[in-house]
Amino acid sequence: MRYVKIKGDKIYEFLERLKNYGKLYAPVKISEKFYDRKEIDDVGEIAFDYQRTIMPAKKYFIPPCEEMFEIDMEENEYREKLEEVEPFVIFGMHACEIVALRILDGVYLNEYPDIYYERRRKAGIIIGLSCLPDEYCFCNLRRTDFVDIGFDLFLHELPDGYLARVGSPKGHKIVDENPDIFEEVRQEDIDAFRAFEEKRQEMFKFKGNFDNIRYILELTMQDKLWDEESEKCLGCGNCTMTCPTCRCYDVQDIPEIGGKKGKRIRFWDSCQFRSHGLVAGGHNFRETKRDRFLNRYICKNSYFYPLGTSYCVGCGNCTYFCPANIDFQENLMKIRGREVIHE
Amino acid sequence: MRMKIGIHGLTSCYGCQLKMACIEEILEVAKNFEIVYWNMASSKGEIEKVDIAFVEGSVVTERDEEELKLIRENADALVAVGSCAIHGGVQGMIFGEDYEEIFREVYGDSLIDYEAKIGEPLRKYVEVDYCLPGCPPEEHEILYYLATFGIGSYPEEKDYPVCAECRRQGYPCILIEKGMPCLGPVTVAGCNAKCPGFNVACIGCRGPVPHGTAWFDSLARTFKEKGMSKEYIKRRMEIFGKQYEKLDEMIEKVFENED
Ligand code: SF4
Ligand code: SF4
Ligand code: SF4
Ligand code: SF4
Ligand code: SF4
Repeated sequence: MRYVKIKGDKIYEFLERLKNYGKLYAPVKISEKFYDRKEIDDVGEIAFDYQRTIMPAKKYFIPPCEEMFEIDMEENEYREKLEEVEPFVIFGMHACEIVALRILDGVYLNEYPDIYYERRRKAGIIIGLSCLPDEYCFCNLRRTDFVDIGFDLFLHELPDGYLARVGSPKGHKIVDENPDIFEEVRQEDIDAFRAFEEKRQEMFKFKGNFDNIRYILELTMQDKLWDEESEKCLGCGNCTMTCPTCRCYDVQDIPEIGGKKGKRIRFWDSCQFRSHGLVAGGHNFRETKRDRFLNRYICKNSYFYPLGTSYCVGCGNCTYFCPANIDFQENLMKIRGREVIHE
Repeated sequence: MRMKIGIHGLTSCYGCQLKMACIEEILEVAKNFEIVYWNMASSKGEIEKVDIAFVEGSVVTERDEEELKLIRENADALVAVGSCAIHGGVQGMIFGEDYEEIFREVYGDSLIDYEAKIGEPLRKYVEVDYCLPGCPPEEHEILYYLATFGIGSYPEEKDYPVCAECRRQGYPCILIEKGMPCLGPVTVAGCNAKCPGFNVACIGCRGPVPHGTAWFDSLARTFKEKGMSKEYIKRRMEIFGKQYEKLDEMIEKVFENED
């Protein structure tokens, strides 16, 4: 891997330059407590110390609602709505979210690739950014706290700048085309990088891993913990919509008055809603709120074999954005047996 | 042949009909449907056989009841339009209270030539085939319902809460962030989370999520944890949700071991 350094005073110039590679999206503060990624005009607005965004980066690849195609019966035509996607840059993705994108790749780019996702994915440049965990983060337990693939550049904070890992040909291109921004990595940068990583590991709330959690979960599905927790649940879907790996969508055909024209749209769905499990004949795979509640736990903890991780990357969004204060990490800890894992 | 429709208003503010009258594509609608009855738009028209009857308002008078039954008899399909028709509306908030007393308080000694009732949703009197929620419904939903009927199909009714749309819009959650009494989690989606988008807590105007999935109990617990009183929570949830089955019980449960 190639390593370079960006000196602290050059970071804003670097962000300015990123605009040469496409529209720049980065985290900004949108309210008292929350952050989201927005298109950036003034790079001074970018929040470097954000913890999580209320909309995960998946929104750039699977928009919350999109029109797929139109049908025109008068012209006997079917028109795809997806235009060519212009290149764009997502700045400041944390490790867990980059792994989350790779999980989405596994779902959307299998033997029947989703063209809408694929085109956007090819156009997106990913610039990672190091982070320090808060009490909601448990990427360490998921083994997704450090990414080695899936970004173009990854920036690690140093006391006087950033150590950048170059992760793709596009990343090399950015470095090569902007020699005035980058410089050699020195011994003290390596030391600082190491110290940062050590400090970061110490900051995680729990140590160990969640490797066997799926099995314990399957074995404890009758536990009364799930009665109590699902009772508290609002069925609001915030947990899935803010989850960077939740990928369920619903599709709807919208005719125009007269029925000669129409469009097909798709939009984010959630297994916390009744119709998610509803099938022909009025049968429902998940009749009760408890079924739906547990479904998310099972889904997120199942094994994504191409990466060897679970579908959950431990970002903590589902807990942070749950209006009912239901703690996903804590619930898993409870069934896992806290003492086994806590150091 | 064009599909025949009737648009009717029982007791309500007539806002749903006004919304229908103001949709941009109203001329397209008039071209594609034969509107045989619409009191708001024309004083002509008798209640006669139609393919679809759209009914706004709740049943508050004997006259409403008779009219509704006549509409039902003459319609292949009946669509309850808006919160009054679907849930009883704001006027349905007095459900379960001392009706005689409230009547006296409201009307005093004035001469009323009909017997008033407590506002109740259409389904209490007749069979309802579809619900078009809103207070009033959104233009795109009115069009969607009309268009699907028009092609011989039917609309897919939303069964999930406003929160879903709030998340899709990317608005900050004001319930989490500011502890505001947002009813988004129990209110049926369709407005694109209009109020949270303006930093205003949802008051539930579109009515509870259908199919028994409006979890007022869980939301009451959440509100309680934020320090809201039982009385306040109850009042707020009752504005549009008074006639939701077991609302009282759901709130009581949360405050059970208190008083
Ligand atoms: S399940 Fe929760 S912690 Fe796991 S990836 Fe999704 S939002 Fe993050
Ligand atoms: S089933 Fe539920 S938890 Fe799994 S991806 Fe879909 S919305 Fe997320
Ligand atoms: S965010 Fe919380 S309350 Fe809402 S569906 Fe998820 S677990 Fe339930
Ligand atoms: S602001 Fe209201 S509607 Fe939006 S997510 Fe929060 S509770 Fe739901
Ligand atoms: S956010 Fe709530 S109160 Fe506002 S329009 Fe929607 S349903 Fe009505």
